[in-house]
Formats: sequence, C-alpha cells, structure tokens
Amino acid sequence: MTEELTSAGRPFVHHHSAHCESGVTSALFRDKGVELSEAMVFGIGSGIFFGHLPFIKWVGLPITTFRSRPGTLFSKVAKRLGGDFFTKRYRNARKGMDDLRQALRRGHIVGLTTNIYWLSYFPNRFRFQFNGHNIVVLREIENGFRVSDPVLEHPVDCLTDDLERARFARGPLEPKGFMYYARSVPQNPDLRKACVAAMKDSCNMMLRIPFPFVGIRGMRWLAKATIQSPSKLGFQEACRRLANIVRMQEEVGTGGAGFRFMYAAFLQETAGLFDSSELLELSREMTAIGDLWREFAVVSARIIKKRGQAEETFEKAGGLMLICAGREESLFRDLDKIARNLRA
Amino acid sequence: MKVSEVPQDITYYEGEKRACYALDDEGRYVVVPSAGWSAEDVVNSLAVEELARQLEETRQAVEAGLKSPLCYHMERRQMNPEILGKTAGVAVFRVKRHFRPEIFAKLKSSVLSRYARALAVTLDELITVPKQPPERESRS
Repeated sequence: MTEELTSAGRPFVHHHSAHCESGVTSALFRDKGVELSEAMVFGIGSGIFFGHLPFIKWVGLPITTFRSRPGTLFSKVAKRLGGDFFTKRYRNARKGMDDLRQALRRGHIVGLTTNIYWLSYFPNRFRFQFNGHNIVVLREIENGFRVSDPVLEHPVDCLTDDLERARFARGPLEPKGFMYYARSVPQNPDLRKACVAAMKDSCNMMLRIPFPFVGIRGMRWLAKATIQSPSKLGFQEACRRLANIVRMQEEVGTGGAGFRFMYAAFLQETAGLFDSSELLELSREMTAIGDLWREFAVVSARIIKKRGQAEETFEKAGGLMLICAGREESLFRDLDKIARNLRA
Repeated sequence: MKVSEVPQDITYYEGEKRACYALDDEGRYVVVPSAGWSAEDVVNSLAVEELARQLEETRQAVEAGLKSPLCYHMERRQMNPEILGKTAGVAVFRVKRHFRPEIFAKLKSSVLSRYARALAVTLDELITVPKQPPERESRS
C-alpha cells in the first residue's frame, strides 16, 4: 500500500491486487469513498469461471481460462451495485487520449483497458500480446502518466507513447481505447442483494451452460483430454499443452490456484455479511479445492521437468483435475441452494 | 494455502512481487506478496525458451536469406501476421508475402514505414536483424 495523489489532489491508496480488473474496479469505488475489497468486487462481478477453447489458438496453444471474459467483471459490478459510470471506446486514438486528459483534469481517476505487451514498465516475463489488461491512471506527468497498476506493488510512470500503443493495440479482443470512470457511486450500496445475484450467476455459469468446453463440463473434458494427450499428441506437445494450462492457472495474475483462493476470500466475506456458517463452510471447501489445483500444478511441473522420468504421470495430473471438477460441482450446487434461500 | 505456505522461491519477476491470497493464523484471508513459485517457473521457462528458440531460428533463417527481417521483427514483438497486418494496415496475405526476402527487398518506403511504426522500430532496424541473438532485451 502506497499513498499517491490523484489529479484532483485527493490521496489515493494503491492496493496490491491479484487480478487487474477487480483491482481497478475496487480502486474506482474506493476513490469515491466506498470501501470494497478486491475479493468482494471479484465475487460481485462473478469473476470465477472455467473455460477451455480448443479451437481458438493463442501462440499455437488452445486457450484455457479460469475467469470470466475480460470486461464483463466491471460491467457486472457496475450493474449490481448501481452508480453512474462513464464508459467509452474510441476509433480515433488522438480523441481517446484527449478524453483521458480531460477526465483527469476534471479530477477523476480513470480505468483503461490496455495491451500488456506495450506497457514497458512490466518485467519482460509478464509481457505478451494480451489485450485485456486493466490499469488506473492517476494523473498526467511530464511526457507520461502516473499509473496505478493493480498487479504491481507500487504505482509507476508510463510513457505517453507506450500508453497510446497499449490502448489502441490491434488483434483479438481489441481494447479500442476502452476508458471508464465513476461519475458517482451509491455511498451505501446494497451488498447483500448484489452478492446473492452474483453467486446465482456464478453457479449458472459453472453448472448450466449447455456447452461442453465451459464450466464443470469443460473441466472434465480437459481432464480427459490431458490424460489422453501423450498418446494422441506425443509427449513433447502434451507437455506444452499441460504447461499452458498451469500458466493460465498461476501465471496470469490469479491470486493463486486460478482465482479459487480469491473466490474463497469472497465467500468468507459474504459469510460475515449474512452471518452464515454454511457460506463459511463453503469458503473452507473452496480453499481445499484451491490447494488441490496447486497440487495439480506441482505434479504438472514435475512431469515437465523430469521429461517423463519421474513417477508422476499425465493420468495423475488429469485425475487431480477430475477430482477438482467433482468437488467444484458439489460446491456450486450447494452454493446455488444457499444463495436461493438467503434473504437479500 | 496459509500465509506461511505462500511460495517465495525465486525472484524471476525482476524484483516485482505477485499478490497471493492466503489464510492467516486466525483463518482469515489476506493478500500476501509472493516472490515466485518454482512450479510456475518450470512452466513459464518452457514457454519463454520456446519463444527464444523460435526467434533465434528465424534470425538464422533471415541471415541465410530464407526469410525477410520483417518476420524476425514480428516474432520479436510476439505478434502473428493477423495482428501485424491489422496494426500496420496491410492485408494479411500481403504481410505473409512480405516474409519472402526478394519481395521484401522491393517494398516501397511508405509500406516499410507503416511496418516500422506498427512494430515500434526504426526503418534501419526493420531491414536488418541483429548479428547476435539478443539477450532478453530490456526496453522495446
């Protein structure tokens, strides 16, 4: 946590967050005087998800995701908590940059969607062509902007050139200079109502999407595909695929175990909100599932490192994923029942 | 995961730390900065090494006269022909065609400068490749 000044001269406290979008959204609320933790925002935005897209390749590898689609988290939080938000996409880069400066001058802190590759303040290892990274701009400085990037520990400086490139990068999921800030937010948002709606939504997304590659179904599908992968694709390619899954689970700013720990934190907070021991129990179960996902990562890393010489096998890795799928299924079924009975 | 279990194995984030959610002694969730995890390092190195190896192969292909420098610079930016084409405003089939050295050599300067801007390199850099495989470059 570091204190900074915004363009309006208000102090801004930078919170180190696990995930960019929930971090930014929580910062926007906090700047307007509403204390919301990142985990709370993540839960209310129904950020938890699972999806495997075997047909859409990114650097030759299918995409596996542990979160909802970039951009939906913010809009769901905005819808469920209410408030007046400015959101806009741009065709013209200059117009987009001018609008950003104007919004800053009017004293807002501004959320932006960017391409992470062009943000050169990142260490090289984080930088890849991904168009869904969110940051908060605090104020303009000499040839750049002061930026609070939620996944970094401290605010940083970003060059104007870099920021413009990052905002108007092309490719899949183009950000198109997407810019958003809060004009006003309700000072006492109805958290209970929002939580109930969000939990039901998450359960629907995990359990009831009739498509074999998403939610619990997707997890099972991927687990089976992982078990078969060495015989179908060859050991080398199977390792690449497995490594990619683990990368998506741990590497891409998830707070550990593919957002499962963050969701457990949300359930814990919600349990306090409703004074419900059932929710607290589910939070514990979610933590246990997260620990299983971590074990899956460890097993996978051993397979890849030892090149098949170790006792760990793809069957074990896939089996762990199947266990995760089974436990998550019963967790979300329980959560669904509880959420339906909670009085908002 | 408990606070004491948050991995602090390696510091390959170049000094940066990641936020992790973990349980403290009273069983409450807190955010703990993590310096890195060895399991993560294994899978991430696999991806990074693959990119580096591919880039080096392309660099040698360019020196051997099999591919154009455009291909090298595109890969260095971790782009593919679709992204590069959209960024530079050149049709994808033309981008792919420009990977052939003999065709790339005949390009007009207006097209070259579009590529240079899209890849954030100078014109001189665009028509050459570095002699040595680059150490993981610091700034774009």
